[in-house]
Amino acid sequence: MSARSRVIVLVIALALGPLILPEFHITLLNYIGLYALVTLGLVLLTGVGGLTSFGQAAFVGVGAYTTAYLTTAEGLPGFVAWVGVSPWLTLPAAVLLTVVVAAMLGLITLRLSGHYLPLGTIAWGMSLYFLFGNLSFLGGHTGLTGIPSLNLFGMDLKDGRHFYYLIWVLVLGALWLSQNLLDSREGRAIRALKGGTVMAEAMGVDTARSKMVVFLVAAGYAALSGWLYAHLQRFVNPTPFGLHIGIEYLFMAVVGGAGNVWGALVGAGLITVLKQWLQDLLPRIFGASGNFEIIFFGLLMIFVLHRARDGLWPVVRRLFPAQAAAAGVVAAAPLPIREKPVAGTVLLDVRDAVKKFGGLTANNQMSLSVKAGEILALIGPNGAGKSTLFNLVTGVEPLTSGEVHFLGGRVDGKASREIARLGMSRTFQHVRLLATMSVLENVAIGAHLRGRQGVFAAAFHLERAEEERLLAEAARQVELVGLTEHLMDPVGSLALGQQRTVEIARALAADPSLLLLDEPAAGLRYLEKAALADLLRKLRDNGLGILLVEHDMDFVMGLADSVVVMEFGEKIAEGLPEEVQGNPDVIEAYLGGVD
Amino acid sequence: MDLQIALLLGQDGIVNGAIYALLALALVLVFAVTRIIFIPQGEFVAFGALTLASFQVGRVPGTLWLLVGLGVLVAVVEIGIATRNGTLRRLVSALTWNVAYPAVAAIIILLGEPGTWPLVVQVAAALALVVPLGPMVYRLVYQPLQSASVLVLLIVSVAVHLALVGLGLLFFGAEGSRTTPFSDARLDVGGVVVTGQALWVVGASAVLIVVLYVFFERSLWGKALRATAINRTGARLMGISTTQAGKLSFALAAAIGAASGILIAPITTVYYDTGFMIGLKGFVGAIVGGLASYPVAAGGAVLVGLLESYSSFWASAFKEVIVFTVIIPVLVWRSLTTRHVEEEE
Amino acid sequence: MKLKPVAAGLIAAFAVSFAYADINVGVTVSATGPAASLGIPEKNTFALMPTTIAGQKINYIILDDASDTTSAVKNIRKFVTEDKVDVVVGSTITPNSLAMIDVAAEAETPMISMAASSRIVDTSNPKVKWVFKTPQNDVQMSSAIVESMLANKVQTVGFIGFADAYGEGWYNEFSKIAEARNLKIVASERYNRGDTSVTGQVLKIMAARPDAVLVAGAGTPAALPQKTLKERGYSGLYYQTHGVANKDFIRVCGADCEGTLLPAGPVLVAAQLPDSNPIKKVAMDYTNKYEATYGKGTTSTFGAHAADAVNLLAHAIPVALKTAKPGTKEFRAALRDAIEGLKDVTNAHGIVNMSPTDHLGFDQRSRVMVKIESGAWKLQ
Repeated sequence: MSARSRVIVLVIALALGPLILPEFHITLLNYIGLYALVTLGLVLLTGVGGLTSFGQAAFVGVGAYTTAYLTTAEGLPGFVAWVGVSPWLTLPAAVLLTVVVAAMLGLITLRLSGHYLPLGTIAWGMSLYFLFGNLSFLGGHTGLTGIPSLNLFGMDLKDGRHFYYLIWVLVLGALWLSQNLLDSREGRAIRALKGGTVMAEAMGVDTARSKMVVFLVAAGYAALSGWLYAHLQRFVNPTPFGLHIGIEYLFMAVVGGAGNVWGALVGAGLITVLKQWLQDLLPRIFGASGNFEIIFFGLLMIFVLHRARDGLWPVVRRLFPAQAAAAGVVAAAPLPIREKPVAGTVLLDVRDAVKKFGGLTANNQMSLSVKAGEILALIGPNGAGKSTLFNLVTGVEPLTSGEVHFLGGRVDGKASREIARLGMSRTFQHVRLLATMSVLENVAIGAHLRGRQGVFAAAFHLERAEEERLLAEAARQVELVGLTEHLMDPVGSLALGQQRTVEIARALAADPSLLLLDEPAAGLRYLEKAALADLLRKLRDNGLGILLVEHDMDFVMGLADSVVVMEFGEKIAEGLPEEVQGNPDVIEAYLGGVD
Repeated sequence: MDLQIALLLGQDGIVNGAIYALLALALVLVFAVTRIIFIPQGEFVAFGALTLASFQVGRVPGTLWLLVGLGVLVAVVEIGIATRNGTLRRLVSALTWNVAYPAVAAIIILLGEPGTWPLVVQVAAALALVVPLGPMVYRLVYQPLQSASVLVLLIVSVAVHLALVGLGLLFFGAEGSRTTPFSDARLDVGGVVVTGQALWVVGASAVLIVVLYVFFERSLWGKALRATAINRTGARLMGISTTQAGKLSFALAAAIGAASGILIAPITTVYYDTGFMIGLKGFVGAIVGGLASYPVAAGGAVLVGLLESYSSFWASAFKEVIVFTVIIPVLVWRSLTTRHVEEEE
Repeated sequence: MKLKPVAAGLIAAFAVSFAYADINVGVTVSATGPAASLGIPEKNTFALMPTTIAGQKINYIILDDASDTTSAVKNIRKFVTEDKVDVVVGSTITPNSLAMIDVAAEAETPMISMAASSRIVDTSNPKVKWVFKTPQNDVQMSSAIVESMLANKVQTVGFIGFADAYGEGWYNEFSKIAEARNLKIVASERYNRGDTSVTGQVLKIMAARPDAVLVAGAGTPAALPQKTLKERGYSGLYYQTHGVANKDFIRVCGADCEGTLLPAGPVLVAAQLPDSNPIKKVAMDYTNKYEATYGKGTTSTFGAHAADAVNLLAHAIPVALKTAKPGTKEFRAALRDAIEGLKDVTNAHGIVNMSPTDHLGFDQRSRVMVKIESGAWKLQ
C-alpha cells in the first residue's frame, strides 16, 4: 500500500469512527485530537527544528482563556465585545493573541542557545500558568464556567460525536499543512536548524527567522487546541496549562517519534489510551488500595524508550513498510543563474586579517586573494589557522582587525547569509549534513537563496512550480558530482567521502562565484580523488573561483594554480605549486614535525 | 521593609539557596558526566527526608523495599548478561552490592528498632538506604541508553520522575512529615534570630561543597569524573569507563539529594512530591551556572533562593511569576556572555 | 500504519465491561496530585460503603482524576457513556467539580460533589439542577470563624492561604463576611502547597500586627505558616480551616498548634458530641468503621464527605426505585428528584434538608468550632 492510500484509509476510518465506535471511544479520540495538535507543534519545534519547549501548555492556555474570557465576560468595551458574540470570531482572536504572545516570548527566548532555551520555556511557562491563576477576571485558580458550546450551520456541537468531526478535520488539516511545510524550501530551512546554525546560515538561511516561524506555528497549533478545549470542556482553570502538562506534551512527541509529523498522532494516541487502560486495568489487579497507574506509566515509558529511542513512529513504519514514493524529480525549467565575473577578476581579497581568541592569535596579518577561474590552495600543518581563516572569510567569526573584500565590496562584519547571498558558498571540514534527509533534500538546502516563496505558499503547496525547479537544480548538482544513484538515499547511509561530495554539491546548488572547500578530498579513495579533481578543474574552467584547504599534497599540487602556506596563523609562503614545494620554510613546516 | 526584615529575608533566602545550590551541584555533575538532565534529583530529597521521618516514628520505610526490589532487578539483568558473555567473575561484586547489601540492610532494619536509634545512626541508615538507589537507577534505566540524545535522556528522566513520585506516594502517603531538628539552638545575631538548624543547613551545604571540591581536585575518582565530563571518548580511551563514571555520579547525586532532604526536613514539611519544585529551582541555578561551572551554579542557586524570599514578602501571590520572569533576563545575559560552541552531532 | 496501535489499545482498553442492572455509582476522586491528601481518605471510604441499598447491588466505579480538571471531565464522560452510571460522586476539589457540571447536566445524571465552594451548587445556574454536594460551603465555615473571632475581640486579621482554588475560595468568602462584620483584613498572603519556606509572607503579616491569623490550607501543608509564625514569635490567635482536620496535621504541627481554633464538621469530634445530638451516632459509626480498617486516629473529615454522599443515596435510592428501574434515564431523573426531596437526613457532617434552591441542605448544626488541645481536637 502506498503512503497516500494509507492516508486515505486513515481518513475513511476516522470518518466512519463515530458511526460505529462507542461514545467513550469518541471522547478519547477527541482528547487525542486535541493533544495531537499541540504535539504536532512540538514535533515541528523540537523534533524537526531542534528547539525543546516545555511551555506549549501555556500557549494552549492563552488560546483557551482568550475564547473563554471573550465569550463569557460581560460589560466588555464595544471594540472587543463584538468578538465574543460567537466562538467562531474568538478563534482567530485566540490564535492571533497566542501568536503575538509567542512572538514576544520568542524574541527573547529564541536567542537563547543550548540549554538556556528549554529553561527559558520552563520560565515563561511557569509564569503564564501562575498568571492565569492570579488574574481574577480569568476566574483565578477556580476557573471560568459557562463557556458556550460551538455552533456549526445551526447545529449545536454539544455532542461529542459532532465535535469529533470538527477536531479531526482540524487535526488532519494541520497534519497536511505541516507535512507540506516541511516538504518545501522553508521546511528545509527549518530542518536545517538541527544541523546547527552555522551551516544553515552559510546556506543563506535566516535561522532566527526560521526558528521564529516554527515557534509561531507551534504556538498557533497550541492555541487552536486550546480554543477547541475551551469549547469542548466549557470550563477552564489553570491546571491543564501547567508545567506538568507541558512536559507531558513533550513526552507525547518523543514517545510518538519527534522526527515525523505522524509521530504526534502516535504519541498522543498511545499516551492517552495507555493511561486510560492502566486506570481500568490496575485496580482489578491490585485492588483499589494503591495508585499504581503513575508508577506503571513511568515504567512502561522507560521500557518503550529503551526499545525505540526514536519513538514509536519509526517502529510502526518498519512493521508496515510503505512502498517508496516514486523517486522522482520532475524535469523543470532551470533556475536563473547569477551573472559570473569574467575570469581573472579578483573575487576574494583578504587584507591583513587578524583573529585573536583571548591571548591566542589564530590568524596574524593573513592576506590572500582569489580570482575568478583560479584554484587557490591554502595548505599548512594542523592547527595552522586555516579553518579559522575560512570562518573569518565566511562571516562565522568576526575579525579582530583587517579587512575582507568580496567582489569589490567589504564583507567583514556581514552575516554569513548575506555573504552567501553575494555568491560565496562553502563546505565544512566536519561534514554538516542532515543524516536522515535524502541527498537531494540536503543539496536543495544549498539552493535556498534561489527561491522566493514563503511559509504560507509552502503550507498550502502553492509554490510547487518553484519547488520543482529547486529540486531539479539540486538533482543536477548531484549528477554533476556523480551521486545520482544515491539521490533519494538518506545522507547518513553514505560513506564519509561521499558525504563530503554531497557537501560540494550543496555548495554548488547556491550557484556561487566563489567556492570555499574545507578538505574535500579527506576520506576519498584514489579514483574518487581523481574524479573530484576533474570536477574542480571543470568548474574552474567555467569561471568559478575556488579556495581550497587541503592536507593531501599530491592532490593540491596537481590541481592548484597557486598555493598559500600557513603556519602558526601566519603566511609563510605563497606562489606556484612548484615554487612552494621547494621552499625550505615549507619543507621545515611540513617535515620538521615528522622527524 | 526595615533592616531587620531585610536581614531575615536574606537569611531565609540563603538557607533555601544553600539547598538549591547543593542540588544544582548534583545536577551539573550528572549532566557533565552523563548528559542526563536528572529531573528525578528532587525525588531523592523527598526519599531521604521521608525515610528518616519513617525511622523516627518507628515505621519501616518503603524505600527499603525499593532498594531490595531494584537490587534484585539489577542482579537479574547482570546475571543475564554474565551468562550470555561468560563473564561470571565480575558477577560477585554486582551481587554483593545489589543483593547482599539490601538483604543485610533489610535484616538490620526489620530486626532492630530504628525508632530508638540515636539521630546520627538514623541519618546514616537513611543515607544507606537511599544512596544506592542512584547507581541502581543508572544501571537499569540509563546505562542501556548511554548513546541516546539529550532529548531522549531528558524524556526518560521525566518517566523515572513519574515512577518515583508514584512510589513516593505509595510509600509515604500524601501527607508530609518533619523530623527532629539536629539542634534546638537559637542565636541572636544583631537582633535577628538565627536557628541552629538554619546554621546546620548552610554549614553542612558549605562543607559538602568543599568536600566535593576536594574530591574532584584531589582524588583519583574525582579526576576520572572530571575527565569524563570534559571528554567522554578521551576518558574512555584512557581506561575510564563511562559506565563506572555514570554510576559514581548517580551515587553522588543521590547522596547529595538525600542529604539535602535530611537537612531541610526539620525546618520545613517534606512531602512525597516536594522534590520536583526544589529540584527545578536547583536546575534554574545550575543553568544560570551554564551546567558546567560549579561555583557559578551554586551562586545562581543562592540567587534563586534570595529572589524567592524577597518576592514572597513583596507579592506572595506572584512569587513564582516573579522568580521565573526575572530568570529570563538572567538567562539572556548568560546566553550572550557564554561563548556557545555548537555541538557536533 | 498509525491507527493500528491506537485501535489495538482502544480495543484492549474497553475489552473489559461491566455487568449492568445493578445500580452503578461513578466515583472520581483526586487520589493523586496536589489534592491527594483529601482524595485518598475519600477513596478509602468507598471500600467501606454498603454494597447493597434497598436490595439493589451497588457498584462503585472509582477513578482517580489526579487533581486535574481534564481528567475529571474525562472520567465523568466515561461514567455517563461507558459505564452508564446512575449517579456520579465527585470530585474532591472545586475546579474539577465545576468542570463536571456541564457533563452531568447534559447526560441528565445526578452528581454529588465532595468539594467546598458554594459555586458548585449555585442553583441560579439551571444546570445545577443535577448537582448536589455534601461538604459545608466555605461561607458557612467562614462565618463560624468570623463569629469566633468577634467573640474573642479580634479586630484585625492576617490571612495566608494556598495559591490555589482552596485558598482563593476561602479568601473570597472570608473577606466578604469579615467586611460585613467590620473585621479588618490587614494582610493577605499566598503560598504554594510545596513551598519550603513562608518566611517572607509571615514577616509581612507580622509587620501588619493582626490580632489573629487565619491559615487557609488543607492537610499538613497548613502547618508551615503556623510553625513559622510561632518561630518568629507571633503571639496572637491562630485560626485554621476545616481542611486541616486530620491526624497528620497535628502530628506535623505538634506543639506549635496548641490552642489553634478551627471550624469543622461535627464528625471530627463525634465522641465529644452530646448523646442527644443525632449526628453523634452516624458520625461515630463512620469513624469506627474507618478506623477498624485503616487504623486508630486515621479518620479525616474528608472521608466522611464521601460517606455522606453514599448516605444521601441510601435514602434517595429507595424512593427512586418506586418509579423507575436502575440503568434508565427515568431512574436517574427519579433519583435526582429523590435527592432534592430529602428531608432530615442525618449525615456525619450534619442534618440535610434539600430543596430546589438548596442542593447542600446544611444548617448551623453542620459545623462546630474546635480547638487543638494536648494534641487532640476539643469541641468548643
